[in-house]
Formats: sequence, structure tokens, C-alpha cells
Amino acid sequence: MMNTAEKQIVTINNVINSTKENLKPLSINFIFWGIYVNILSGFHYAFPSLVQSSKYSAAIYWIILSIIGMLFMAYYNVKVRKTVGYETHLSRVIKIIWGVFGVSWIYIIILSFYLKNYHPVPPILFLLSLLTIMTGLIIKFKPVTLGGIFLTLFTFYLNFNPEINLLLVNIVGVSLGMLVPGLSLFYSKSSNNPDG
Amino acid sequence: MDKFLFNPIRLKIMSSLINKSQCDFNYLKKVTESTQGNLSVQLKKLKEEKYIEIEKTFSNNYPKTSCSITENGRIQFEEFFKNLIKMKNS
Repeated sequence: MMNTAEKQIVTINNVINSTKENLKPLSINFIFWGIYVNILSGFHYAFPSLVQSSKYSAAIYWIILSIIGMLFMAYYNVKVRKTVGYETHLSRVIKIIWGVFGVSWIYIIILSFYLKNYHPVPPILFLLSLLTIMTGLIIKFKPVTLGGIFLTLFTFYLNFNPEINLLLVNIVGVSLGMLVPGLSLFYSKSSNNPDG
Repeated sequence: MDKFLFNPIRLKIMSSLINKSQCDFNYLKKVTESTQGNLSVQLKKLKEEKYIEIEKTFSNNYPKTSCSITENGRIQFEEFFKNLIKMKNS
């Protein structure tokens, strides 16, 4: 009976240990948004007359292109989930918090349509910084947490210097808050296991 | 001691689901190294005992089965594991 118990424990351990917490797809998400938002901000900064050609064209530019980005990444994440064949509790938590960010982002953008002198960049960056910190803490990966902390401090500084060009702020914030931590996670040896 | 989990296929299914929020049928087939028919039977038994929940959907016109552990299943599995440790140490 004791031998059977030992065998059963070994079976349980083997099955549990066969689960890989693959964080590569998460790093792809960070890298994608880091590059994508930089391109959108860079284009807006380089061609302001084109993007701001009419009253709502800039808002439409940001909303449509961001939604295209969201759909593309949603498709990528669903594809990864299908290939792996399972979803861990960790990836579910991360999926939920970034889903909440997507909804909050839409809420802030809609609010900016109706409120005068309300620029959506500072609250979006602040929200982004908090979720990046949360993600870094959940996956136990310091560069992501530090990226989020940097973004929080940067957003704080931004509130006292409103004359700064918000597109450049976006580029710096997203590069250091998402792109660099994303690349760091992608090339990290522990990207297959947060505890590894 | 829960004799129900002494079945190796059922034990592998539960061990696989314990640290995941959801598992696909094909993944469980790979983990349990069982046939499609046998796995279906064992999943049905686990569902009848309210250890797991089974969700059937369609993806690209193909049926897709996903399983997740219930609260009852989690409690039973943890109790079973504690008893195994006790047996091993006795």
C-alpha cells in the first residue's frame, strides 16, 4: 500500500511539473505594444497636419488603429492558447487584468471626447504603469516591475510639466515601460518559468 | 481514502487540472496517455462525481472539449494527496 502511495505521489508530481509557464507570448504582447504605440506616436508627431486634419481625425486615428492592434493581439493570444492546449491560473489572471486595461482605455478615450481640456495620455499612461507593476509582481520578473515603477514616476512628473509634448511623452513612456521590459522578458532565461 | 482517484487516468486528469484554469481534451489525452474513448469515459465519471466541469464548444466547425476542476474536485484532490503523504510516512 505504501509503495502504491509513493507511485501515486510520483504520478501527481510528474503531471504537475509537466506544466510549463511560458511567458514568451506575454513578452511578445509587451514588445508589440511598445513598437506599435511608438509608430503611432512617431507618425502623429511627424505629420500632425495629416493626423489632425479635422476636428475628430486624431481621436479616430488613435481609436481605429489601437482597436486594430487589440484585435491582432487577441487573435495571436487565442492562437497561442489553442496551440498550448491549457490555460494556467497565472495566464488567466494576466489576461483578465489586461482585458480590464483595454476596457478602461476605451472609457478614457470616450471621456476625452466629451470633456474639454482632458487629455487621455496621462491617465492612460498611469493606468498602464500600474498594470505593468502588477504584471511584473505576478510573474516575479523585476525588469517589468521596474518598467512600471519608472512609468509611474514619469506620469507623476508629467502632471507638473503639462507643456511637454504628449506624443514624445508617449514614446519615452511606452519604450521604457513596455518595450524594454518586454525585450528583457523575451531574452530572459526564466521566460519559460517565472520561478526558474 | 478516496478510492475513486486510485484510477491512474482519473488521477492524471485531476493532477493536470489542479494547477490550471482550463485544459483541452487533446492536451489531457497527451498527459494521460490514454485512448480517446477511455478518456471520455473517465471524464464523464469525474463530471458525474462533480469533480470537474466540461465545456463543449465549436471551433472552426470542430467540436472542442475543455475541462476545469470544481471546488469539490479541488477539496477531494487535496484530501486525497494529504492521505497519500500520511500513508507514505506511516
